[in-house]
Amino acid sequence: MIELLQLPFMQRALIAGVVLGVLLAYLGIFVTLRRMAFFSDGIAHAALAGAAIGLLTRFSPLLSALIFSMFLAGLIYWLEKKSSLSSDSIIGILFTSGMALGIILISLRRGYQPELIGYLFGNILAIRRQDLILIVVLSLLIMAFILSQKRKLTLLALDREMAYMAGINPDFYQLLLYIMLAAALVLGIRVLGIILVSAILIIPVSTARLSSRSFKSLVLWTVLISEGVMIGGLLLSYYLNLPSGAVIVLTGSTIFALAFGASGLRRRRQKK
Amino acid sequence: MNPILEVNDLSVRFGNFPALDHVSFTIEKQEIIAVIGPNGSGKTTLLKAILGLIPYDGEIKIFGKNIQQVLPLLGYVPQHFAFDKTFPLTVEEFINLTCRKPDKLPFGGALLAAGMAALKDKLIGELSGGQLQRALIAHAMLHQPKILFLDEATSGIDIEGLADFYSTIQRLNREHGVTVMMVSHEISMVYKFTDRIICLNRDLISHGETKTALTKEVLKKLYGDTADLKVHNHQGSAP
Repeated sequence: MIELLQLPFMQRALIAGVVLGVLLAYLGIFVTLRRMAFFSDGIAHAALAGAAIGLLTRFSPLLSALIFSMFLAGLIYWLEKKSSLSSDSIIGILFTSGMALGIILISLRRGYQPELIGYLFGNILAIRRQDLILIVVLSLLIMAFILSQKRKLTLLALDREMAYMAGINPDFYQLLLYIMLAAALVLGIRVLGIILVSAILIIPVSTARLSSRSFKSLVLWTVLISEGVMIGGLLLSYYLNLPSGAVIVLTGSTIFALAFGASGLRRRRQKK
Repeated sequence: MNPILEVNDLSVRFGNFPALDHVSFTIEKQEIIAVIGPNGSGKTTLLKAILGLIPYDGEIKIFGKNIQQVLPLLGYVPQHFAFDKTFPLTVEEFINLTCRKPDKLPFGGALLAAGMAALKDKLIGELSGGQLQRALIAHAMLHQPKILFLDEATSGIDIEGLADFYSTIQRLNREHGVTVMMVSHEISMVYKFTDRIICLNRDLISHGETKTALTKEVLKKLYGDTADLKVHNHQGSAP
């Protein structure tokens, strides 16, 4: 185990996993409260186009996916305001268009694309030093902002009108939440991949909700479960020699299933 | 006396549908005002327009200013609390979202002491309709608003709790000087507890002192043949 922790790629993987585990889990609380799971999934999938632009132009795929997704989040916000279409329809159109553009751009490159597979399914063990710096710096910045605005973001997630009456500008904070969520998702893509990244937004908070009796305990349990899932899944994937993103997600869903069963048993006992 | 709320030629349209049509009225300080009318008559729309929650045509002034300048002076209890009731949030945490030390505020402290303190560790989703309304009113009162807007705030309250609710509103008005504007369907309670009334059916049917403006003719105009069902002779006070 100690030998494993001395390996540079594993050190980078663990640092990225721990930092993103806190960030995505915390954002997941707002995502589930505002029912934004489809937004998260859509942004993550559409990020393929951003990563493909980076791969084609030999610019950093992570950075280009980041810029593209943040732009897309802003576009979704603008279209929600300006059109009569439902949010789901807007996200559905942009999400599939982003994916389609990504597929076409990738097809322009000849040969096998190992980096692309990494973006689709995640490869935490292949995180480069420059990627890690970007993940840590941006994650800390987003976390600092969320923690400083926690009260406002929570009130907005609970009820938009109530937030407005408390003097909060709901439009401004909604746009900020969209952009921060898009950035966090793209950072998470490096670990879990486009297809699986939204799992770490949803699974820890859904597991924690089964037994939390206050918002404070929900935050604590969400972050602890997320860290357990990230670190446990990562180590398991190494020892089992299986794809890291998939093992992390299945570790999370196994913990959720156990917690769900336990909470069902507890409720039945309380009824008796 | 200068009016604290002036509504001039207010119109609201949702697409081609006119929700409010050229409505004008004024409200004086320290009154309890009821807004009544059938479903779809524009009561909630009126409150939302006054609070700046929806776009409108016309002019609305509160304390002679635009809504954005006086927002901290207003409290609002919505018709529906949109949040996910299964979310684990205690009453205390809910109150703290708006105010970190509610017990330090004379209003908030008084209201919390009046019944919310015992519920502070309970989850918002586990509150009864009446308890939730009390939590929402306590929440709306935390900043010691000068005007409190209530949109069908009694919808979750049983018959026994109704008189208690209206007494609380009256106490807030008489003892703390809060002007209350409330959308309501309980005509008998409105007749008994409110000073003025605004009768809406997309346009203004009648307004003025409750005892004089709330006539059988006005009720017939608002509710048609069902008016008799609405007008209970509750404690002999309604027309």
